[in-house]
Amino acid sequence: MIYLDGITKIYDKSSKKALDNISVHIKPKEFVIFVGLSGAGKSTLTKLITHEEEPTSGKITVGGIDYATLKKKDIPYLRRKIGVVFQDFKLLPKKTVYENIAYALEVAGISNKTIRSRVPQVLKMVGLENKDKSFPRELSGGEMQRAAIARALIHEPKILIADEPTGNLDPKNAWEIIDLLLKVNEYGTTVILTTHNKEIVNTLKKRVITLKNGKLIKDQEVGRYTLQ
Amino acid sequence: MFTTLYRLLKTGFTNFLRNGWLSLASTIIMTLTLITISVFLILNIVLTQGIQTIQDKIDISVYLSDSAKGQTVLDLQEELSNNKDVKKVKYVSKDEAKQRYQEKFKNNPQLKESLEDNGENPLPASLEVKTYNPDKLESLLPVFEKENYKGMIRKVSYKENKEVIDRLFKATEFIKKIGWGLAAAFIATSLIIIFNTIRTAIYTHRSEIEIMKLVGANPWFIRWPFLIEGIMYGVFGTILALIAIYITLRLLAVSFNSYFGGENTGDQVFAFLLKNLGTLVVLMLGVGITIGVTSSSIAIRKYLKKS
Repeated sequence: MIYLDGITKIYDKSSKKALDNISVHIKPKEFVIFVGLSGAGKSTLTKLITHEEEPTSGKITVGGIDYATLKKKDIPYLRRKIGVVFQDFKLLPKKTVYENIAYALEVAGISNKTIRSRVPQVLKMVGLENKDKSFPRELSGGEMQRAAIARALIHEPKILIADEPTGNLDPKNAWEIIDLLLKVNEYGTTVILTTHNKEIVNTLKKRVITLKNGKLIKDQEVGRYTLQ
Repeated sequence: MFTTLYRLLKTGFTNFLRNGWLSLASTIIMTLTLITISVFLILNIVLTQGIQTIQDKIDISVYLSDSAKGQTVLDLQEELSNNKDVKKVKYVSKDEAKQRYQEKFKNNPQLKESLEDNGENPLPASLEVKTYNPDKLESLLPVFEKENYKGMIRKVSYKENKEVIDRLFKATEFIKKIGWGLAAAFIATSLIIIFNTIRTAIYTHRSEIEIMKLVGANPWFIRWPFLIEGIMYGVFGTILALIAIYITLRLLAVSFNSYFGGENTGDQVFAFLLKNLGTLVVLMLGVGITIGVTSSSIAIRKYLKKS
């Protein structure tokens, strides 16, 4: 599904390497956790997969598409195959939950009819069917993150990237989000979770890839949180 | 297709409204730019036409005394006709002069009847001379000074016409220079102000743009609302400029008329405007939309580079 081959990323010439010769292969339907402290390179890695950033050297192939040969006009179509959620949710404050999710379809030129049928489905999946008319400010952190996940899932992506999705949440809400990600994974979506929450990492018993200062220091099939 | 168009227009329109004061500033400067360009263009055309009309009129009228002999008049007519600067010479008899007078004052019975008072026609016969170039009128003066014509010429009238033409020429040249200068300055200002407005709009919508890119929006879905905003400045600018020009011309028509010595220039400008309203609207929209779209495009290219 995702091949990263000898990836190095340097943001500007004077700075140090954000990623240093990383090679990872993620299989379809896998649940992978990237662990690392702030600045370890987790976010850079997710930005490379979503093609927000390009590697300084190395090769990226996602779903058979070689990013080196990907045309600019095809990037939007790639992004619809990769859902992303962030620590800060990135919901539009002046739109309701329903509108926030519908927006992702509108800007892709999807018809109103399809929007009307698809948005309620995905809202139900994340358990927000009764919050469709609420504005983000009226929601709890957990609900906002679920709305963000609903938006990420609206194009039925093959890959869901969750970049520190529980960073702003209390433990109860954090676990609800993790449960939702597990559910999404069960339905067949590859999930990439980045976190530095020790409890979550240790409880999930999933594949853990540990990054430190831009280097891959550990890749375990059933991993544990080993950073101090 | 229709849905997408509707969404783009709606977004563009919302951006326009939410940009508040900046949109207002952009619309005003666009209006001023279009007014400047249109007014100078119209004035230029009307004045050029005015010059043409006056040039076609008679340049010199040579009024003949009643005692002038037929053969001498013919000699004078021939000599004038042979001059290389003269286009045409026409003999107007006393009777014809009377007819013209009556025609001219047909609505004023008192003046009309004043001719009939003593049964005699007081109007002189005349030669009407049309030259190729009103600047060359002086070259004809020696002809009228000649001994054999002296007694038969009552009066040579030419000055008035030339003055009007000179005035119009000067006005046209002045208006051209000022017009191009002002138009260039206003276009430059418009481009800068609209560029800044769109740049601010892009900045205001940065989180929306980020999310659009994130969820795989079509690139033109991100760009077009800003282009539409640019187009709107052109459209609203045109509407406001047309209203402003209409009102101003209505008010100014009277003073224009008196300045150009009863040539009704003000009315001519107004008639010209009405007659060419379609062309004017197309021209203003063309200029306005080009300015708007150019500014937006530059701003978009500069601030929406990464996709």
